[in-house]
Amino acid sequence: MASEKSSNAKTGHKFQRSGFSYEQLIRFFFASNAGLSIVILTLIIAFLLKEGLGFFPGYRRDLETYRIAGLEFVDISRNNLTAHEQLTSLLNRAYYAEVNGKSSRELKRTEEASALYNAFTDQVGPTRDLILNNPQAETDGNAGMKAALLNNYEKQREKALQKPLSTPHLTNEERQQLIESLRARPPEATDDPPLVAALAQEFVAAQQKHAAPLQEFRTVIDDFESAGFDLGSIVMEMTESVTVTKEQLQTADILEKDRKTLLAAASGEKDPVERERLLADAHAALADKPDVETPMQALLERKPECVRLHEELKTASSAAFDKIPQSLTESDAKRILSAARKAWPVFITDLDMAPGKINAWKHTDPVPLSDAFMSFLTGKKWVTGGEWQDFYGILPLAIGSLMIAMIALSIAIPVSISAAIYVNHFAKPREQALVKPIIEFIQAIPSVVLGFVGILVFGTILREISVMDAFQWVPGFPIEERLNIFTAGCLLALMSIPTIFSLAEDALNNVPSAYAEASEALGASHVQTAFRVMIPASFSGILAAILLGFGRVIGETMVVLLVAGNRIKIPDFSEGLGAFFQPSHTLTGIIAQELGEVPLGSVHYRALFVVGIVLFAVVLGINATAHHFVNRAKK
Amino acid sequence: MNDLQEIPTASKTSTTSVDIRNVSFNYGNTQALKDITLDVRRNEVTAFIGPSGCGKSTLLRCINRMNDEIVGTRITHGEIVVDGINIHDPSVDVVKLRRDVGMVFQKSNPFPSSIYENVAYGLRMRGERDKAVLDQSVHESLQAAALWDEVKDRLNESALGLSGGQQQRLCIARTIAVKPTVVLMDEPCSALDPIATAKVEDLIWTLKNDYTFIIVTHNMQQAARVSDKTAFFYMGGLIEFGETKRMFSSPSVKKTEEYITGRFG
Ligand SMILES: Nc1ncnc2c1ncn2[C@@H]1O[C@H](COP(=O)(O)OP(=O)(O)OP(=O)(O)O)[C@@H](O)[C@H]1O
Ligand SMILES: [Mg+2]
Repeated sequence: MASEKSSNAKTGHKFQRSGFSYEQLIRFFFASNAGLSIVILTLIIAFLLKEGLGFFPGYRRDLETYRIAGLEFVDISRNNLTAHEQLTSLLNRAYYAEVNGKSSRELKRTEEASALYNAFTDQVGPTRDLILNNPQAETDGNAGMKAALLNNYEKQREKALQKPLSTPHLTNEERQQLIESLRARPPEATDDPPLVAALAQEFVAAQQKHAAPLQEFRTVIDDFESAGFDLGSIVMEMTESVTVTKEQLQTADILEKDRKTLLAAASGEKDPVERERLLADAHAALADKPDVETPMQALLERKPECVRLHEELKTASSAAFDKIPQSLTESDAKRILSAARKAWPVFITDLDMAPGKINAWKHTDPVPLSDAFMSFLTGKKWVTGGEWQDFYGILPLAIGSLMIAMIALSIAIPVSISAAIYVNHFAKPREQALVKPIIEFIQAIPSVVLGFVGILVFGTILREISVMDAFQWVPGFPIEERLNIFTAGCLLALMSIPTIFSLAEDALNNVPSAYAEASEALGASHVQTAFRVMIPASFSGILAAILLGFGRVIGETMVVLLVAGNRIKIPDFSEGLGAFFQPSHTLTGIIAQELGEVPLGSVHYRALFVVGIVLFAVVLGINATAHHFVNRAKK
Repeated sequence: MNDLQEIPTASKTSTTSVDIRNVSFNYGNTQALKDITLDVRRNEVTAFIGPSGCGKSTLLRCINRMNDEIVGTRITHGEIVVDGINIHDPSVDVVKLRRDVGMVFQKSNPFPSSIYENVAYGLRMRGERDKAVLDQSVHESLQAAALWDEVKDRLNESALGLSGGQQQRLCIARTIAVKPTVVLMDEPCSALDPIATAKVEDLIWTLKNDYTFIIVTHNMQQAARVSDKTAFFYMGGLIEFGETKRMFSSPSVKKTEEYITGRFG
């Protein structure tokens, strides 16, 4: 019916549609811009997936080589050996902590004296060098010049001695004596000032004195260490043979890949002569399959020996470990010793399980693709570029990212939400006009600059606080690394405060003022109105603000790269909350750090892409959830 | 219950509830009220009428000091006395004042929580925790607001799910739940259909014995139906104030007559 009518209408009637209108043009302009961003997003996702998904087959092949070449077999013994070495090192550290702790007075005295002396030489160094290394002054015997240089030196010396470093552990006489000896010191002297030398000796003597009663402990540690020697040497031998096999396998893989490329080129080639040539090349590249069987048989024959050595290691190290002192006196030494005691049962269970593992191991077991998936998702090791075997386990990175985010959010959420509540409900208009822009201004600080400040100021201050006696009750203090999860978390908190603050403030602002009026007209106080009506009403919005802050923290790269300490290891949770003061690496940081250095298309390169995909998915998920809450708040 | 009445005053026995004396009011530099003098009797309904922008809401909001929340506003002259107490006296706690002078807004504004919580809110803010007391108060207030039968099975559902008329009655219930002495109503029926309007008017009639009502309205029939006294405002000034019956039958000022008969406004 409609078409019937339209056919009746003559062209040129007064409702005639004009051709391509100006309005359509404008519409097209805006639509194309919106479309462009969608296209780009799609391309990015496609690119990520294309580069990333190749990772799993590649990694599977890596793991297969790891097994076929026998590296996996060697790792059974090697892991136990490493555990043994770590235990040895803990015992050694406990020993030295005890000795040095007992000689700590002497240690401080010698350190302070040398510090003062070193600061002095640093300052007079340049003028002193001028006197000593001036050939002109030597040869010409130019007395005037020599005198001038000497004069210069003396001036510098007096300046250096005006404010010598403080030496709280030296007596006043000693300090005076040291300063005088420096003043009287001829420029060409090279030996240490008498007091510095004497204190060094005093320290050595103290060390010896305190080491004497620990003689037995020392022997026990040495016995413990030597218990691992036999297993160590066999692991070394096996390591050599399996590395050779592994290299052969890898070379064969590369040749095979080349051959496939040549074959593909040949099948696409039109010219018969050229095709022949390519095919011949491909044929030549057909490598002999490397012989993995012979070395493998040799390796498998060592099974009984490995088992025996494990048992020996267990007996010998148990005998030694039983004899370590029940307790030490210095608190550091105690702490380290108890860490060793904690690690001991784990070590022993691993040793007990080793024979079973060794006997059950088969180089012919297949490596399914799911192994590569699981190894990526649940792997505790991210090891790359090593000579031995690369592992791409995301856990250390994910845990690092999460722990940093936890610190950041647990600081940023209370601060920014309270600030938002204050600005929105309690601040006078003038305070509002001041506080809001200042908080939002933090956003303008480039993250590199923030990272910079973090390293130089915050990290240092934190470390200094952590060695203060008054703060020793804090778990993890004194901190070993200046750059750690906590420092990164604090800086990220600073970065996410403006995000959370602005969004939360918006959310509070969006609550209809009619609610406030109603509440106050009912005789509720201002505080009651804020906390019973306004804040609950903006709850969804505040939650969204927190989530977006979380997304921001997880996605932030520069600050964590600079400040988190970049140690790829799952933090040691046996320290409890102290784990937050350990360095860590992150999902974002690893990409930024390694992507520039990896060969294009390698498994490592693809692994970084998969990390990128994970990150993308996580942030997308967070934002989608936040969006959900925002929508709910709008309703 | 009524904190303001704890202070013994001479006017306690008198029948004046809200005494507005020579009040002038400014929004920043613009004067919105000019020298208003008016006294509102206890247990009466007083209607404020007048063309849009003449200052009815402003005066109403002066009585419970809601204008305090707007920056730059002040009473430039005069005083308002509620139950014998000058509400601008420095010793007056505005929170306590509002417990005695309740307000229902032109636009219904229930809190985004359950019906029960809306009604119980005022008492809760006063520190009432006893569930039995709250239950009792919610029941009575909803019944008084003629809403109980409609919502008694859904007390824990969101108040935002009620119809506009029900929401307005909920706001009235919420206001009377805290047992104020004076109830200010700013065009309470402007968003309601005739049936809901009739319900609210009935409500005012029945509650009149316990409360003093001041009601702003644009609806002349409503003013005539519901109020004992009527005050007519024009351009920030009080033009005429008197018995409703008399005002509507024989207004003494020409402007009033013009307005009531709908010749302007
Ligand atoms: N918050 C404010 N800031 C500045 N001026 C205001 C404010 N509220 C009201 N006014 C002004 O004060 C005057 C009186 O306003 P008011 O709201 O009291 O009028 P009304 O009589 O209630 O009108 P209506 O019948 O339309 O509700 C008007 O001129 C208005 O523009
Ligand atoms: Mg009004």
